[in-house]
Parts: sequence; C-alpha cells; structure tokens
Amino acid sequence: MNQDQFNFIVYVCNWGPHAAYMELQDRGADIPLEIKMVRVPCTGRIGKALLFKPFEMGADGVLLAGCRSGSCRYGVGTENAASNTEDTRKILELLGIQKNRLRFETFLPDEPEKLLDCLKSFVRDIKAMGKSPVPRKRAAEEAAPLAMADILTRYDVHSCQDCGKCTSACPLALSGKAFSPRAVAHDAITGNLDSEAFVENVWSCLTCGTCYERCPSAVNFPEFIRDARHFLKQNRHDGHEVHGGFFQSLMRTMTAENLTMNRWSAVPPEIKTDPRGKVLFFGGCTPYFDTFFNRHLGVTTSSITLDSLRLLNFFDVVPAVLPDERCCGHDLLWTGDVENFKRLARLNADMMASTGVTEIITACPECYRTLAHDYKEQGFDLNVRITHIYDFLEREIGKNAVTFKDFGKAVTFQDSCRMSRFEGRPELPRTLLSKMKPQGFTEMQDSGKSAVCCGNSGWIGCDSYSKALQVKRLKQAKDTGCDTIVTACPKCQVHLACAMENPFRDAQKELGVKDLVSLVAETICWE
Amino acid sequence: MKKEVIITGFGGQGIVLAGKVLGNAAAIGDGRESTLVQSYGPESRGGACSAQVIISDTMIHYPYIRSADVLVAMSQSGYEKYIGQLKDGGMLLYDRDLVQPDDSIKEKYAVPATRLAEELGRKMMANIIMIGFITSVTEVVTLDAAKTTVTESVPKGTEKMNLDAFGKGYDYGLSRLKGLERKAAGKTGAMS
Repeated sequence: MNQDQFNFIVYVCNWGPHAAYMELQDRGADIPLEIKMVRVPCTGRIGKALLFKPFEMGADGVLLAGCRSGSCRYGVGTENAASNTEDTRKILELLGIQKNRLRFETFLPDEPEKLLDCLKSFVRDIKAMGKSPVPRKRAAEEAAPLAMADILTRYDVHSCQDCGKCTSACPLALSGKAFSPRAVAHDAITGNLDSEAFVENVWSCLTCGTCYERCPSAVNFPEFIRDARHFLKQNRHDGHEVHGGFFQSLMRTMTAENLTMNRWSAVPPEIKTDPRGKVLFFGGCTPYFDTFFNRHLGVTTSSITLDSLRLLNFFDVVPAVLPDERCCGHDLLWTGDVENFKRLARLNADMMASTGVTEIITACPECYRTLAHDYKEQGFDLNVRITHIYDFLEREIGKNAVTFKDFGKAVTFQDSCRMSRFEGRPELPRTLLSKMKPQGFTEMQDSGKSAVCCGNSGWIGCDSYSKALQVKRLKQAKDTGCDTIVTACPKCQVHLACAMENPFRDAQKELGVKDLVSLVAETICWE
Repeated sequence: MKKEVIITGFGGQGIVLAGKVLGNAAAIGDGRESTLVQSYGPESRGGACSAQVIISDTMIHYPYIRSADVLVAMSQSGYEKYIGQLKDGGMLLYDRDLVQPDDSIKEKYAVPATRLAEELGRKMMANIIMIGFITSVTEVVTLDAAKTTVTESVPKGTEKMNLDAFGKGYDYGLSRLKGLERKAAGKTGAMS
C-alpha cells in the first residue's frame, strides 16, 4: 500500500449504524474508498486500546459509529463509547496527534443519509488536516535473533541448584498460582520452550526480583525473563499485555519521529523550567496513566511529576525538560519488544544529547533504572549523571536549613522493585522518611528487599493471582495501623488503587495512597 | 565598623578555638584589628566557658565586652550566663539541639551544629560548623579568611574534614538566610 494514501477506520455498531451502512451499500452509495469498515457488536466494547491501535498502525482517522443515546441494546454502550472516545482523544492530544482524528457519532438504523454525510465530512476534514504524524512504516531498529542457549549462558542459568528457594519466596507462587521460577529455569535448560507452562510462566513473572535476592547461585532471574520474553516475541508468541495492550501500543506510537507532543501541557505557570538548564528533569508517563485510568481509579500520578518539579524549584534548580519526551521504553524492554525499545531510546538519547545537560533527574524508579543502566547496555550511552530524585533530595536537605511540617497521618511504605531490589537501595526512601514527621511510620511485614510486589510490572500478565497478591499486600498495610501507604512508583499507586476498588474487599480497608515525593513537597518548609 | 562577639558553650566544645579562629581570620586574613579574651578556668572542665572577640577597623582600646553585637551559644548554661550581655537588637546564634532561647529575642538563628557534626562522624567538629555558620550569617569575617584560618588552626591531616564541616555550617547559614527571604516573600514551602 502506498505510504501517501489516507487510511480511515470506521467501527460500526451492528445495531444502529450498521443497518444504515448496509442500506448505503445496497444502493451503491459513494462511501469514500479509503474507509475500512469494521463491524462490532457494540461500540461500548471498543475500549481505549482498540480506539488507539489504528493510530499506532498509521491510520489517519478513526470514527466510532454507535447507536443514538437511549437506543443502545445493552443499555450503557453509547455512554461507554463516548467516555472511551473522550479519554482516547485526550491521549492523542498529549501525544501531539490532533484529537479530531478520532470521533464518536451516533445514528439510528433509518439514518443512512446522515451516516453518509458524516463519513464524507469525516474524510474531508481529516484530509484537510493532512497525514497523521505517525507513519505506517517506521525505520527498523535491528535486534539480532536470540538463541536460548546464549540467554542461559549470559545469566548462568545452568548454575541453578534446583533448591527451590526462588519458588518458596515468589509472591506469585505464594498467592496460589502454579508458577515456579525453578520450573521455568528447568524448562529453558531442557529446551521445553514451546510448552504451554513455559510460555505462560514467562509472561506471568512479575520481574519483581525477590527470587534473585534469594538465589544462592545469584541467577538474575528477572533479566533472564526479560530476555526470554524477547526470545518468545521473536518466535511469534504473543505477549500477555494487559489493558488490551494499550500502553505498549502507546509506546510504539511514540517511536514516530515527527510527533510534536503536549505532554507538559498540565504544568502550571508557577513551576519554572528552562530550556537551557544544565539539569534535565525526565518526567515519565504519568499524564498518560492519569488520563487512561481517570474514570475508575481517579489516580493522579502526574502530581508526582509536578511535585518533583516543585521540589527542584524549591531548591533553586530550574530544570530543562524535553518537550517531545518519549517513554523511556522500560515496559517495551520488559515485555519483549526490544526493537521498539531501541527506537524510543535512540529518540530520547538524541534529544538529551542536543540539550547539553550534565545531569538527568527522574522521580520514576523504572525510568531511573532504564536510563541509568539499560540504555547503556543496549548501546545508548548518555554520558551524563542519572540521579533519582531521592538522592537529589537527600543531598539538598542535608545542606539546607529546611524542616518538615507535621503530616497528620500514620504511614507505611511500599517499596518499588526497581529501586529497593534492582538498585539495592531500600534505605534511601527510609532515610528521607525518617527526617519527616508523619504520625508514625511502621514497616509492613515484608519490607525493604523482601517487600511484596504491588501486583504487576510492565503492564503484562495481570490476573486473579495478581489481585490476590495485591489484596494480601493491602492487608499487610492495614495491619500496620497506618492511614496512608507511601509509594515510590506511579505504577504501585495505580495497582494499589485498583486493588482497593476490588468489590470483594472489605470497604473498611480503604487507605490513602501518596507518593513519597508528594509527601516531601507538601510538608517541606524553610526553617 | 566594630563588632563584638561572645562565643559561649561547655568547656571542651572548642569555644576558645572558635574565638581564636574568628579573631585570627579578621586580623591576619582580613587585615583588621581584633582582640580575644577567653574565660579560662573551672569552665574548661565542663562549665560555661566563653571567648570574647572584638573585630574592628580601628584600634581596639579595651578588649572586654559589655554589650555584645553577636552572642553565639552552644550550651544552655552559657546562653543563660551571657544573654544579659547581648545588646538590644543583637543577634543570637545557637545550637538548635542544645539551647532553648527566650521568645523575646527577635534576631536569632539556629543551626543543629552538634547533630551535623555527628552526621559527619565527629562531634568535636561542632565548633568548626558554628564558625561556618557565623561566617555566612554575620559576615564579621570573609569566607576566604575564615577558610584559611580554619585550615591553619586544626591538627595536620584533618584539614579536609574540618573544611567540609566549615562548608556545612556556611551552606546552612546561607540557606537559612535564603529561607528567611523566601518566607518574607510569602513562599514558605514547595507548594506555595
């Protein structure tokens, strides 16, 4: 297909608009030829992932044609479709893809003329806008085919002593899932690579790293899983991405080079940034998370990003930000899509190099891990100091006359796997907490390096066992008698909020969730 | 311009050394006049001891202080003994964890000198931290003079450690002044 040709996807509900569409077809009406019609049972079932997917693949416009409000066969379809469209339009806007490329219209079965007019004006309007900034084909970033034997050697999986300490410590196994790191290692060694159990387990692993902590042979199981996923992807196994693969799709879309993004649009004017700053603040994906989850979780992970900027300003650091900052690529790397990870890394690394900064600060443990270690390992040496904001805060609080206001709540702390285990620095957030004045700080039963995972990482493999794990974690938090769980990662916040929405959980267990950065920003003051 | 400074604390905290560093910095480093009177007696075994330093651009005729511009207190007993000699509108500098000053004193600056010294690994460097704090808050001596004098006054081999301590106190003082400025401008924390 020609790169210059326009492509439009029209999702048509089987009931209202499809009847009208068929009538148009019957009479040979001049439906624009660039339109690909996809008949669906109900537009309310076209989630944000499916609305967004065509844009990732290079579509220039997507129209969702549903039933007129009140005529939905299933009651809430029209309403759901409208809200999904609104959220997806916001995400398109953040990405710098004009939101008018996605539309939701409603029809009755006897409105073929109205449908035809709509289709024509839709195509005309978008042609006037021009092609989508996301091309259908993007330059290939090569990754050599992997051999399992090489992966096994790289992580010395053969040194597995079959002792089973990994499985006995694994939070997934403890939540009742038939999952065993030891069995995965065994399957990989014996070449049982197509077995259902092996494939399922490779995608289920939380990559939380508890097994690596316990392994007497120091087999880096999380990184082994990361490479095994890449291996499976190369061998045409689909991953078990959650949320319909929305986030992976979003990240792949960001590999388009010509996006002019609006990801900083929510930064209020009192927060100062400076394009010539010597320190770069790397924000991460929080605006996307908040938009995606706003309907049911009401999470505000962007406050982590904004409060980080406020803290930098408080200590007289006016950082640069990348206007077109892409996702760091963590989730693509950890779900087997190394090719697209490299595209993101190249774009980010080039933008960073052009700013001439000497230090990059980030508040996200995954961004930190990725920028500080994985970029270099994958061939993108940034040659600048990468600092986690906790280190920055520790440094500045140490030399400044600042104090903290009372935080009238008792707290506990949810470790992030990337900082507390992968970086081996569980003491870092605790030193900060010890300087602050919560009404009490009590550790959960499992904390620090043996902390239990928030239930998921990399938007992959979430299931009822993940949920059981989260509910168990919430119980541990509740048992400390705290009012607020302090988190260190936006995803922990999303996942714990999700677990609290679990209808089978006792509503009494409602706890506040607040990121450590926000806690610092809200209570810090000059002496 | 003439400044009269009383430094007081427990014997053993290095109060007299602090006075000496300040005086030397002014006289040798900044080329001004200075005098030092140390109360030296049973205090050096743990009571409230003091060092009285006068720094002036003109010749100093009398070295004893009756009305101090600055009082530096590193112990509660020293504070209580000498607070009467601080003139109205004088400046009080004190160790936050060791001294509880009276609310009536308007111009006062606290530094957790002993705690910072403990964090650096040596409690005995609290006096050097205090010198750094005095340097930035009162500006009775210049930064260069104070640093040079600290380097020359401490035992060989501990110069770097003491300069770090000095820097800690100096930065803390700068930050304290900045904080006051911010607060005056209505910016108390990170959110407002």
